[in-house]
Amino acid sequence: MREEPNLRYISELPPHVHSGITKDKVMLRTFLLMCIPALAALPAMGLSALAHIAIAIGTVLFCHYSLAYTELLSKGTTSYKSPCSPLVAGMIVGLSMPIAAPYYATVGVAALTMVVFKWLQGRLCGRKYLNPAAASKVLLLAALSIAAGLGTGMMFYPAHLRLDLWTAAGFDEVVAFYDGRSALSGALSLVLLKDHGWIGGASGLAVLVAGIGAVLWIRLKWRIVVSLLLTVGVLAAVMSLVTGGSMVDRLAFHLFTGSVIFMGFFMATEPQSTPLAEGGQYLFGTALGVGTFLLQQLNVLGGSIIVLVALNLVTPLIDTIGRRRPYGHGGVR
Amino acid sequence: MRLRRDKYHFQERGGFTVDATVKRGAEHLPFQRVPDPELCVVFLRQHIGPPNEPLVGPGDRVTEGQKIGDGEGHMCVPVHAPVTGRVTKIDTAYHPGLGAESEAVFIERASEEIPPLRLSRFDPDRLQDAEPDALVGAVREAGVVGLGGAGFPAHVKLSFRDKAEYLVINAKESDPNVACDVRLKQERPAELVAGIRAMARMLNVKECIFATRAQRGEFPELEERLRKAGVELAHIRPSYSVGSDKLLVKELLNVEVPCGAYPPDVGAVVHNVFTAYAVARGLYDGEPLTSRGITFISRYTGPRNLWVKVGTPMRHVLEHMGIPPDTVQRLVVASMLMGGAVPHADVPLVKATAAISAFDPQERSPYERERACIRCGYCNMVCPVSIYPVLIMEAEKRGQRGKLRRLHAEDCIDCGLCSYVCPSLIKLTGYLRRAMAEVKQG
Ligand code: SF4
Ligand code: SF4
Repeated sequence: MREEPNLRYISELPPHVHSGITKDKVMLRTFLLMCIPALAALPAMGLSALAHIAIAIGTVLFCHYSLAYTELLSKGTTSYKSPCSPLVAGMIVGLSMPIAAPYYATVGVAALTMVVFKWLQGRLCGRKYLNPAAASKVLLLAALSIAAGLGTGMMFYPAHLRLDLWTAAGFDEVVAFYDGRSALSGALSLVLLKDHGWIGGASGLAVLVAGIGAVLWIRLKWRIVVSLLLTVGVLAAVMSLVTGGSMVDRLAFHLFTGSVIFMGFFMATEPQSTPLAEGGQYLFGTALGVGTFLLQQLNVLGGSIIVLVALNLVTPLIDTIGRRRPYGHGGVR
Repeated sequence: MRLRRDKYHFQERGGFTVDATVKRGAEHLPFQRVPDPELCVVFLRQHIGPPNEPLVGPGDRVTEGQKIGDGEGHMCVPVHAPVTGRVTKIDTAYHPGLGAESEAVFIERASEEIPPLRLSRFDPDRLQDAEPDALVGAVREAGVVGLGGAGFPAHVKLSFRDKAEYLVINAKESDPNVACDVRLKQERPAELVAGIRAMARMLNVKECIFATRAQRGEFPELEERLRKAGVELAHIRPSYSVGSDKLLVKELLNVEVPCGAYPPDVGAVVHNVFTAYAVARGLYDGEPLTSRGITFISRYTGPRNLWVKVGTPMRHVLEHMGIPPDTVQRLVVASMLMGGAVPHADVPLVKATAAISAFDPQERSPYERERACIRCGYCNMVCPVSIYPVLIMEAEKRGQRGKLRRLHAEDCIDCGLCSYVCPSLIKLTGYLRRAMAEVKQG
C-alpha cells in the first residue's frame, strides 16, 4: 500500500490568477460614466431631473434590499450582495424617464425593473432576455395608454402626436417648437442642452462623451451603437434630401435625442439581452436604427425602446449568425 | 481600460492586458542549483505518447544518467536516472502534467559520488559531417521532449525534414510566471545557439527564426552568436497568447495552421528555447535530460530561478526555498494561466515543468467568488483563436454536442484567457475541456 500524503492542497483547474476586472467594477464604472449625462441634465432640466434619478435609484435599492432580505429569510443566504448592479439599473431608469413624466411613473418603472424584469425574469428564464429598464417602461407605457389614453401613455407629451416630420415645413415647426423652449437655438440646443425629452438626453454631447468613455473603459458593445447611429444618421440625411430643409437640424434631431443617443449607448448595449456575435451586433444596431427612425417619423418619440424590446426577443436567433471565423478555418487573414 | 504598455503587461485581443508583474526582476536572478533530493520520483511517461516500460526493478542500483525507462513506439522518449542510488519501487504517483496517477520509478539517492553516465557525443565543429538521422536518434536517446510545457517528443518534431521550411525558436517567455527562458538566454547563449544549429541541420530548413519579446540589445552576446549563426532575430510584441505555437506561426509568417493540423503542416517547426538547450547538452555533452531551469514564485520569496533535477518532489523545492510545505494552500505547476494545482507537496517535477508557484491561505483563488454570467462578451473578445467561450459553455451545460461542433470548441488552445478576463469570475476552463473532449469523441 502506498502512503497517502497527510498534507492536502487545494487541487483545481487553471487559471489561478485573474485580471481584477470584476462585475462590480464594471458596474461601478458604468454608474460613474452615467453620472456625466446626469450632471448635464441639471442645468438643462433643473432639480426635477435630479429628483427623478434619485427616486429611481432609491426605489431600485429598496427593491434590491427587500429581495435580499426575503431571500435571506427563506434560504439563509442571499445572492443580492452587491448594490452595484441595482445602482446602474436605477440610474438607467432615471435617465430614461422623460422630464415631463410624473414621479409615480418613475417609481413604477424602477420597481418593475427590479422585481419583474430583473428578479422574476432571471428566476423564470435563467437569464435576462429583455432589457429590464426598457421592458418595464414599455409595459408601463402600454398600461397607461390603455388606461388613460395615448397622451398619458406618451409620458405626458401629447404634443408629439400632432407633429409632422414627413415634410420640411412640418419639421421646421418641430424645431421651432423646441427652439421656443431653449435659450439655444435649433441644432445647438438639440446637441448641447435641451429641457425636454429623456433626462439622459438633456445633453447629447455629454452622452457622447460618457459613451465613448464606456467603449474604452468597460468595452461596451460598440458595434451596436455605431450601426444604430449610422443607420439613423443616414436615414435622417436621406429624409432631409428628399423633403428639403436643414440637414444639420435633421441630423441633430434624430441622433441627439435621449431616446436615440442615450438608449443607444446605455440601453441597447445591455450585455445579457443583446447579441454576442459581432455580425449579429451590427445587424441588431441597424434594425434598431431603422425601427427607431420609423417610429420617430410616426411621432412616437421615445419609441426606440419598443423596437429594442422587440429585438431583444429575437436576439437568440440573431446570435446564430455573424460569428467570426475561428483561427485555422480559411487560410491567411 | 488599462493602457499600460511595458514588458510586464502583455497586450491581448480586445484591448485586454495580462499582468506579468509577478515575475518582475526575475530576469536578473541567476539560476540557483537546488541540491539533489533524498528521493527522486521519475515518471516513465514524460512525453505525449504511449508510456515507457521500466528498464530497472526494485533493489537495482542506478547511476545518474542511466536509462531507466524506454518504449517501442515512435513517440516514446526514454527517461534517465537523475541521481545515483537505488530503486526502491516502481509505483504510481500523481503526475502534474497528466493530472492523474502515473507509473514512476522511485530512486533513493546514494551518498557516494560516482561520475554520471554520458551518451556518445558529437563534435559541434563537425556538425555538417553528422547524419541528420543520427542526430535525431541522439536527441531521442537523450530523452529530450518539448520543454515549453507540452512534452511533445523533440525527435519527432525534428524528423519533419520533408515539410520543414522554417525552424522557429519560441523564446517568447510569455507566461506571466515563467522567467527561466530569459535567464537561459543570459547565462547559456553558446549552448543555446549550438542547439539551434544542430536542430537546423536535422531539419535542413531554409530559415531559422529566434522569436523573442526582448528588445534589441538586451542580450548582446546571444544576439551576436545568433547573427553569426545566420539565425534571424524576430522581436515580437509582448503578448501572452502569441506564445502558443500556432499563434506564433501566424504572427511571424502570417500563415494560419489549419484546424486539425500542426505547424509543420505549414512548413514551420516550433521548438521552445529550453528544448534547444537540452538538445545541445544531449548532443555535445552527452548529457541526458535529467535537470532543467524553472521559475519559482511565492509571496515570501518573490520570483527565483532554480536549476532542479527532474523527479524532485515539490516538497524539497519548497523546503529549499525556506517555505514550510504546510504553510502552502495551493501549489501551481507550470503557467498560472494554464497549469493545474497539484494535490500535495510530494508531487515530483517532470521534464516539462517550467514553473512552480506557491500560494498561501491568504492568497485565495479569485474564482471562489463566481457569479452568474452577464454575457458581457469579454471572453469572446479576448479569445485568440476567435471562438465563443460563453456560447460553448452554454452549449456544454445543455449537452448540445452538435452546437459544440458548430462553435468549433475543438479549436480552443486552453490558454485560460477567457477565464482571466471574466468579470463574473467564471472558470470556463472546465467547460471548454469537456467540450473539446466531446467534439473529439465525435
Ligand atoms: S466573460 Fe464571463 S460573464 Fe462575460 S460573457 Fe464570458 S462567461 Fe459570461
Ligand atoms: S481558453 Fe480556449 S476559449 Fe478560452 S480564450 Fe483561450 S482559446 Fe479561447
